[in-house]
Amino acid sequence: MKAEIIRVLGKPPYGPTLTLSKIVLAAYVLLALAAPAIAPQNPYDPLQIYGWEASSPPGTTGSGGYIYLLGTDGLGRDIVSSILYGLRISLLVSITSAAIAALIGLTAGVSAAYFGKWVDVAIMRLVDLQLSLPTILVALIAIVTLGPGIDRIILALIIAQWATYARVVRGVALSETGKSYIDAARLMRLPTSRIIFRHLLPNSIAPAVTLIPIEVGHAVALEATLSFLGLGVPIDKPSLGATVANGFQYLLTGQYWISLFPGLALVGLIASINLVGEDVRRRLDPRSRSI
Amino acid sequence: MTLEPADIPLLEVKNLGLRYLSASSPAPILHDVSFELGRGEILGIIGESGAGKSTLGNAIIGLLAPEFQRTTGTIQFDGKAVGAADDSGSSNVRGRRISAIFQDHTASLDPLMSVGAQLEETILATNETLSRRDARARALELMARVGIPEPDRRYRDYPHQFSGGQRQRVVIAIALAGSPDIIIADEPTSALDATVQKQILGLLRNLVEETHVSIILVTHDMGVISEIADRVLVMRNGRVVEQGVTSTILEAPRNAYTRGLLAAVPRLRISKPVPEKKTGRARTAPSSDCDHKSPTVTAEGVSKAFSPQGLHWRPHQGTIGFALRDVNIQIARGAITGIVGESGSGKTTIGRIVAGLDTAPAGKVTIGDNAFDVSQNGRRTGLLGRVQMIFQDPAVSLNPRMTIAETLRESIRFGAGLAPGEERPDMMAMMDRLGLARSLGDRHPHQLSGGQKQRVAIARALLARPEIVIADEPTSALDVSVQAEIVQLLKESITERNISMIFISHDLALVQDLCSAVYIFRDGRVEDSGPSDFIFSQSRNPYTRSLIDARPHRFTH
Amino acid sequence: MALISVAMGRLSQAFLLLLVMSVIGFIGIHSVGNPVFNVVNIETATPEDIQRATIALGLDQPVWRQYLLFIGNVVTGNFGTSYIYHLPAFGLVMSKLPATLELASIAMLVAAPVGTVLGLLAGRRNGTLLDRTILKTSVFALSIPSFWLSMMLILLGAILTGWFPSGGRGSTASLLGQEWSFLTWNGLWHLTLPALALAIPNIALIARLARSGTIEVESLDFTRFCRAKGLSSRRILFRHTLPNISVPIVTVIGLQFGGMLAFAVVVESIFAWPGIGKLLIDSIQLLDRPVVMATLTFISVAFVALNALVDLFYAVLDPRVRLSA
Repeated sequence: MKAEIIRVLGKPPYGPTLTLSKIVLAAYVLLALAAPAIAPQNPYDPLQIYGWEASSPPGTTGSGGYIYLLGTDGLGRDIVSSILYGLRISLLVSITSAAIAALIGLTAGVSAAYFGKWVDVAIMRLVDLQLSLPTILVALIAIVTLGPGIDRIILALIIAQWATYARVVRGVALSETGKSYIDAARLMRLPTSRIIFRHLLPNSIAPAVTLIPIEVGHAVALEATLSFLGLGVPIDKPSLGATVANGFQYLLTGQYWISLFPGLALVGLIASINLVGEDVRRRLDPRSRSI
Repeated sequence: MTLEPADIPLLEVKNLGLRYLSASSPAPILHDVSFELGRGEILGIIGESGAGKSTLGNAIIGLLAPEFQRTTGTIQFDGKAVGAADDSGSSNVRGRRISAIFQDHTASLDPLMSVGAQLEETILATNETLSRRDARARALELMARVGIPEPDRRYRDYPHQFSGGQRQRVVIAIALAGSPDIIIADEPTSALDATVQKQILGLLRNLVEETHVSIILVTHDMGVISEIADRVLVMRNGRVVEQGVTSTILEAPRNAYTRGLLAAVPRLRISKPVPEKKTGRARTAPSSDCDHKSPTVTAEGVSKAFSPQGLHWRPHQGTIGFALRDVNIQIARGAITGIVGESGSGKTTIGRIVAGLDTAPAGKVTIGDNAFDVSQNGRRTGLLGRVQMIFQDPAVSLNPRMTIAETLRESIRFGAGLAPGEERPDMMAMMDRLGLARSLGDRHPHQLSGGQKQRVAIARALLARPEIVIADEPTSALDVSVQAEIVQLLKESITERNISMIFISHDLALVQDLCSAVYIFRDGRVEDSGPSDFIFSQSRNPYTRSLIDARPHRFTH
Repeated sequence: MALISVAMGRLSQAFLLLLVMSVIGFIGIHSVGNPVFNVVNIETATPEDIQRATIALGLDQPVWRQYLLFIGNVVTGNFGTSYIYHLPAFGLVMSKLPATLELASIAMLVAAPVGTVLGLLAGRRNGTLLDRTILKTSVFALSIPSFWLSMMLILLGAILTGWFPSGGRGSTASLLGQEWSFLTWNGLWHLTLPALALAIPNIALIARLARSGTIEVESLDFTRFCRAKGLSSRRILFRHTLPNISVPIVTVIGLQFGGMLAFAVVVESIFAWPGIGKLLIDSIQLLDRPVVMATLTFISVAFVALNALVDLFYAVLDPRVRLSA
């Protein structure tokens, strides 16, 4: 009875919003994949950029024979093209880092729970320390130490995010170890490897895997923030965040389009990833489903 | 107060029907429920989970969520109608004239407020005329009334500093604060140990006699009903199937469902004369096999301290520091031996040590001719796997991501050591024997009922072909009607394979029914032990006597 | 007992953090070239000058001894001298601290009550339109990156309307030997937008927490029991629900105050607010390593210290922790 009430009241308040965000997210991914084919201009190629058309407002027809739908930036790059290419960098960085962080975190978390003793103490000390600091601070420290570059920012994001997975996985694995089906498996004298891979892992992995989409969303925002601060991707290959940062100075002089449109694209991307991610988690995690 | 005309009942529920407005479809919860409650009367409402008994209690006090809608009928209190859903109209009645006691004494009290303050605020809320001083005096008086020693000293203590029984006493004191006419008690003793349960029920009975308060007692436990209820209402699927005077219902139930409920209650027999005459008991205690001189399992000198980790704020009662102290037990070959104790007595710990799941710093376990040092890892010494276990909660004893067939096959392959591919005949025979449809093999545990899951757990244990099975409270997570079937099935399948069993339980009647020998555990020690007949009839151990006395008398023959 | 173990845990964490930061700082300083040239002019220095500076900086010592020296300096707050300002790095951070503290405090003073009230309202009217609106808005507010929120505030509050300045600290007044913006109208005027940028995500976070806390507490048996024993819903709200949800809310306020020190990096550099966040970004861009390390270490340690305070406060609020043996 109580479960029924909570199920009804706890229903996600967004139905149509969710469908919309799924479509939006799919569109983002397709646009990023198809960027070189559909973008009117390659913003990384100086030969395709007409410097004298810098800061053109939206709708201006450029020398390349196409219309700058969303205008150009301070260097004359087409904003539409910058968004499409920036999207590629943003998604590449965030998906790569979230996936690697998940792999490292899973391994560390299960190892901590299974081996216990000093392995557990060592891993969890580090995890606790990292999680006691805001993610952005950890990422800042990492990027300051590592220096700039796309590979460095991916590494910084991995450093900032692995601990979340490790803690979640270890917590679940520990509580699963205490359940009597693991006792029953031990009583069957199953090999330790079979207990871990057949019983413990399948039941501990779900919450961590379902974290991945949400963490991709965090990674996009984090990368954008670092790039905005000038600490992320190199200036000649801007991500969405870096594109927004490039336009910030022009915002104050009224040339709003240079950072407004890339920014809106960024916020839309993060919001749709978050909404879809929450939904994936609700569906896949039996714990949140059975509440 | 007692001069009320006899023909107007204090509470009258007439043709009450309720439904629950869920998003998908409105589900009916109660149908046509009618009953009366007189002054100074204890009315028991009994039923299994989902019977609608708690919803009925909440409807009377007006605490239903707004999603519940009354479809038919009325609730009349003292001649006036009261609403079922939560509205401000009922708050005049609530607390002052009708109050409540809930099952979970821990959750019933605000953890951040001292018990004295909680009592005081209730007194002030129900008597506006009282001064703070008077309220405090009355609070102390109530605490003394419900049997809390040294109320002056305990007044400023917080709920977590009280034991479970004392917390429930505080809850009763709060329920009494407004001098109500009716107290609705929803499973007031189910979270308590048997001896404490007995005391709380006694307290409620005394309160009724002294203050003429009426009590509506909602419970699933026939024993509780038999102990204190004057009249009983039997509910099933939202309907009243039978009601009447308690003794009549217990002795001559008319409805088949009531008869089933009563038959499912294990009864404790205390027969002074020699037990050989009893027919039908030979099967449960095969006397020839039950030779204590050739035990199949012994545990000697097992001691274990509480592990220091874990921040349990629950106050430890009695001895602190030892989970087990110098425990010696012997399990007869081919018989069922009971281990009985209240929570925290160490009965589960000894089971896990014998099975090789846990270690203990001191002690030895012997199975057949092999002795095992329990201070070593059970896998290393070879103790692990000699014994199979059936666990208390079937919801967590099966791997949720494996199908039933996969679980059983694993048991045959690794437990019994059969080659892969040879499992099928064993598995099918066992599923048939335990009444599990073969089609269940492809299902996952969450698609099975509690009873089915426990059958799978029994099948898994037996398929590993153990010499000994330990069943740790195998029925306490199940509904009463399912409990009897599972116990019966367990008993039969164990005896027909000539397997020895250790049956761990807090339920004396169940243990008497099943076991030929009994160990009584208390605070990590063996308090009393002997053949079942001797323990239940002639033991002079005061603790054993108090456990037996804590049983409802009607279910003791 | 519980209190002591909590405090000890945090203390050891703070030391571990200092250790990690010192390793990072040590590697950082040595990886960007010979630190001697931070002190002497690379073009005009004679070998004797370099030799003298090397000895003065301790660079002739073995690496482990240099590290020990460095760690001793870190623990005592000596991060060296700023390459740019030629002032002690730690002192420089301290001089910028009041501006950041002021910004974060004002933001939290706004966020805590507004978030709590919104969360309580949503939680008590669980499932209604109001609740769904608050929940949706907070989900959205939390997914906006801080820098974008700041830029939109500038666009709306400064550029399009001209109501507020787009950056700077405005005029200040002196109190306790420090300059404060909130003491003048002009300063408050400058404070508004950056404080909002820090407050909005926190309002959303606190509101969500207060909402779920309220729903959880109100579904517990003891609130049902409170209604059963005849208490008014007002009394239940103020005497039972609020104290019970305040425990997690106070915790998150403490943690988020620390979080603001980190997010100040973003907000301050956008609003040109001269606090430690802007100092950090400026120093990173100017390769002023001593100041970078001093700032990061200070923020991290301040954060752990805040965690410790929150733990202690938690223990004081909750008798189950306070009175456990």
